[in-house]
Amino acid sequence: MTLILTYRLGNDLYGLEIDAIQEIIEDAELHHVPRATGVICGAINFHGQILAVIDLPTLLDFAVDKHDHRHLVLTSEHRSLVLKTSCVERIVNLEMESLEPPPADHDRPAVRGIIEFDESIINLLDTDEVIKQLEDIYAE
Amino acid sequence: MRIEISYKFIIGFIVVVVSGILVNLVVPYIKGIEPEFRQVFAIFCSLVVGLIIGSVFSRAFSDKIRRLTSAGDRIRQGDLSEDVVVVGSFPDETNDLAKAMNQFQASLRILVGDIRNIAFRVASSSQNLSGTSQEMSASAQEVARATDQITKGAETQAEMVEESTRLFKEVAVSIKLVASSAKTVADSADQTLETARSGNDMAGSSLDSIRQVLTEAENSGQQMVNFIAQLEKISTFVEVINGIAQKTNLLALNATIEAARAGEYGHGFAVVAEEIRKLADSTTTSADEITGLVESIRKEGQQVQTSMAQVIDEMESGREAADRTNQAFSDITQNAEGTRAKASSIAELAEQQISSAERINRAIDEIGRVVSDNAAATEQVSAATEEQSAAMEEMAQSTKELSNMSESMLQIVQQFKLVKEQEQD
Repeated sequence: MTLILTYRLGNDLYGLEIDAIQEIIEDAELHHVPRATGVICGAINFHGQILAVIDLPTLLDFAVDKHDHRHLVLTSEHRSLVLKTSCVERIVNLEMESLEPPPADHDRPAVRGIIEFDESIINLLDTDEVIKQLEDIYAE
Repeated sequence: MRIEISYKFIIGFIVVVVSGILVNLVVPYIKGIEPEFRQVFAIFCSLVVGLIIGSVFSRAFSDKIRRLTSAGDRIRQGDLSEDVVVVGSFPDETNDLAKAMNQFQASLRILVGDIRNIAFRVASSSQNLSGTSQEMSASAQEVARATDQITKGAETQAEMVEESTRLFKEVAVSIKLVASSAKTVADSADQTLETARSGNDMAGSSLDSIRQVLTEAENSGQQMVNFIAQLEKISTFVEVINGIAQKTNLLALNATIEAARAGEYGHGFAVVAEEIRKLADSTTTSADEITGLVESIRKEGQQVQTSMAQVIDEMESGREAADRTNQAFSDITQNAEGTRAKASSIAELAEQQISSAERINRAIDEIGRVVSDNAAATEQVSAATEEQSAAMEEMAQSTKELSNMSESMLQIVQQFKLVKEQEQD
């Protein structure tokens, strides 16, 4: 049994193991970061650490609409990324055995696998893919 | 020399006797006569002498008598122009008779002349009288016509007076009708006034009610505004609760994360965190429901406010209408008062008119009586005139008769010839 935090990117339901999450913060004071593109919307002071906030829907080309002002602060194993989502939902308890790889025609980006829950599909976020895309952007 | 007839007869007799004697004396001296014839001759001669003398004498006498007779005949025939003349050597009684006849004729002539003159005068007077009586008759007829006209006029007057009386009675009736109508109008105006006053009161009270309702509606509107403000406060509280629920939810999520990090030790804590999260969620749900409720209440409140504003508007227009109604009732009251005053004055005037009409009626009655008297008097005059006319007719008739009589008297008198023909002409 694994605890998964679900959240939405646009209208799509995504999920992330809570092992990867350091903390969920809300209404953090966003500092302007010079030379930042649209993907990085600023920086926050997290317990003394300056962390960049990644606009995940923008990065993954989701239609940008509203945000719930909640950010997911990832653990240091995941580069302490701060992910801005569309809306943080809840923590669910899932059997990881039922995790399936995304189908070949799956067009959602950065998906490590899909899992069915409560008549809906949760796309499990591939943080490595996210980092890779960020590196691709800043390598240019 | 005057010798009376008796003497003449005696003289004649004596002459005859004397001549007889003379003859008897003469005869014996006459030759040729036989003595036996002498007696016869003497008688013969005496007879001859007596015859001659008697004849002369009686002829003269007869002539005189004839003259007298012819004169009497002439007088009988009315010829008084000539005097009776008896000629003779010796006047006698015939001359006296002639003289007396002449005197008679003269007095008759004077009498006839007088009669004729009088007859002339009577005729002319009767003619004058006839003319006068005709004139009088004409005048009487004129008078009769005039009185007829007066009578007719009096009748017309009487009819007119009757007509006037009738008309005036009708007028009086009309005036009474007017008076009663005016009274009815005044009563109606009174009723209208009463109704208008009660209407005015009602309008005033309804106006007061509307004002009260308006005030209450305004108060209600204010209360509604306050209520909506309270709702806003509730919304604020709900937002605060929502925020707290969100924070709780976040805390629960982070607590769950922390509990997971603690492994087996954090399991109980995770359960608690889950419960807290559920509570937070239900709080959020309830807060959302409250928000929805508040929202719908706010909307309904706004609708109520709008309705109330409309109601207030309508009340305002109702108040204006009531104001106008009030004003209208005031006008009606004023008009009704005016109408009542006018109707009252009409009624008063009509009453005065009625008394005037009654006086006029009395006067007309008086006139009618006078006219009737006049008519009666005129009829009397007419009758008198008719009588007069009849008397005039009678008088004219009498005058005519008189005239005729005088004419015939004249004619009779004309038969007398007073002068000779040549003298007459």
